Amino acid sequence: MNAPILETRNLTKRFGGLTAVDNLSLALPGGRLHAIIGPNGAGKTTFFNLVSGLLSADEGCVLFRGRDITGLKPHEISRLGVKRTLQIKSVFHQLSVADNLWITYQASNRFLHPFRDSSSDRNAGERVDQTLEQTGLTALAERPAGTLSYGDVALLEIGMALISDPQLLLLDEPTCGMSPAETERAVTKILEMAKSIDIIIIEHDMPVVFGIADDITVMAQGAILASGSPAEISDNERVREAYLGRPEDEDYVEEAAHA
Amino acid sequence: MTARTVIERALFVVFAAFLLSVPWLVPAFVSDFWVNLIAEILIWSLFAASVNLLFGYVGLLSFGQALYFGFGMYGVGIGIDQLGLSFWPAFGLGIVSAMAMALVSGVLAVRLTWHYFAIITIVFSLIFYFLAVTMKSLTGGDDGINFTMPPTFSIDGNVWSFTNQTFQYFFILATVTLCFYLMYRVTRSPLGKAFLAIRDNDVRASLIGLNVYLLRLVAFVMAGFLAGVAGALFAFFGRYASASYMFYQVSGEAVVWAIVGGAGTLFGPIIGTSLFIVIREVVSTRWEHHALIVGVMAILVVILAPKGLVGLWRDALSRLDTRDPSATVTKTLRTEP
Repeated sequence: MNAPILETRNLTKRFGGLTAVDNLSLALPGGRLHAIIGPNGAGKTTFFNLVSGLLSADEGCVLFRGRDITGLKPHEISRLGVKRTLQIKSVFHQLSVADNLWITYQASNRFLHPFRDSSSDRNAGERVDQTLEQTGLTALAERPAGTLSYGDVALLEIGMALISDPQLLLLDEPTCGMSPAETERAVTKILEMAKSIDIIIIEHDMPVVFGIADDITVMAQGAILASGSPAEISDNERVREAYLGRPEDEDYVEEAAHA
Repeated sequence: MTARTVIERALFVVFAAFLLSVPWLVPAFVSDFWVNLIAEILIWSLFAASVNLLFGYVGLLSFGQALYFGFGMYGVGIGIDQLGLSFWPAFGLGIVSAMAMALVSGVLAVRLTWHYFAIITIVFSLIFYFLAVTMKSLTGGDDGINFTMPPTFSIDGNVWSFTNQTFQYFFILATVTLCFYLMYRVTRSPLGKAFLAIRDNDVRASLIGLNVYLLRLVAFVMAGFLAGVAGALFAFFGRYASASYMFYQVSGEAVVWAIVGGAGTLFGPIIGTSLFIVIREVVSTRWEHHALIVGVMAILVVILAPKGLVGLWRDALSRLDTRDPSATVTKTLRTEP
């Protein structure tokens, strides 16, 4: 087994009386596409927030490639190569699609030139054009990102993930709210990226999860309920119970079992 | 080229030509007084630009920019009157002390955003306003400091000084133009794009690796620079420095000028400042409640034109472009694969 790309030890986060992430210890080996699933409120997004530095842990630590990143600022963690998307699609609305990509590419530079014309940076310009092509957004390059359709914003998010050269990519419900055609397109891109990048994905769309993940971790009430291959998870009795507790999720598991 | 760029370039040339001919054109048609008024508008536009840099480009609404304007003024006033400095060292002292004050208060202020940020900027400016009013020996208190104008250049017995109205006007025009040019360069630079990203979405900006705190602090010090230059110029212009210009009402006026003109646009502050100062000068001689007009106009613009007068103008021009049949509109139909 590869050395873990991401490891947490006794990670705990409380909001008042609620323990959102409860003594979570896991080690995710590199080179595989991990999915984290679980009912709403299981602590999945809080877990991402702890890893990316948006929240600080009450206890425990996070290690990225063996390096302790607990307590680092979001931009410091980002500069180490840990990039993430947000559950609610979140881009720079008033900037054009091309500028969204451009600033994402430049963001990890320590020095941002205050006076040089930004269009004079050929290297960045080429990378932006290339990423626009990869995501099929070339025709929309000059549009303000706030005017894009939901599916196009999601593609832009993926483009921003691509252009930032991540080493570990955390995707928080990337296909949420997409049409079936858009979902299919996004899944293709994610699988393509997974060949060269380590990806951890939170997803509610069970056919997507069971279709693409190498490993699945199931969270419930802030702790790990089960982890294993998609086949192991779909046969796991406790996972079924966790979902059966919420009837509207029942058919997901049924569907997943036959996926 | 679209109709919009043609019209905007033509207007820019006319505007530049007007500014360059003011010392000859304006006395011929109106009076000498208006040359000084236009110089004053230029200075206040630069001050409004400092609010605009923070609010329009970084998304921080400061109600305390008068503090840095005041430091620019007192740097010059104290420098000349008490330290015996000549023109350029005094100018430098004004700018550096404004930037230093911006750095010190910025370290605390930019940790906050929105109303918390607005409140802390007001608090800082009030603290120093009252300090300036009470420290009479240094600041002259309410009376301020009056000083004798040192010459700007003195080469081989030839002296250029602000006592010459035309020289004074052109010095102010050149300095303000240089500052606006620097701001234009910044808005097009990598740093400027990082500012815009933070304005749009600070959480996302931190996740792509931007040091949001440091960048906001840089913007705050840059805004302190613009306000400091404006304050220093205003001290030279009036030959005095006074605590009354550090009051938060002065900050508030600049916020109105910048927002009505168009926050997030380079020329917005110039338009807003010109409009309100001209209204004040023209109306105040006949009607004492001229502030009422200002208030009504500010409210109307905020409700009807959220991007200010420049935004309104741009919308009108882009409608012109879409109606123009010669304009090339590329429409590509995108299909799901």
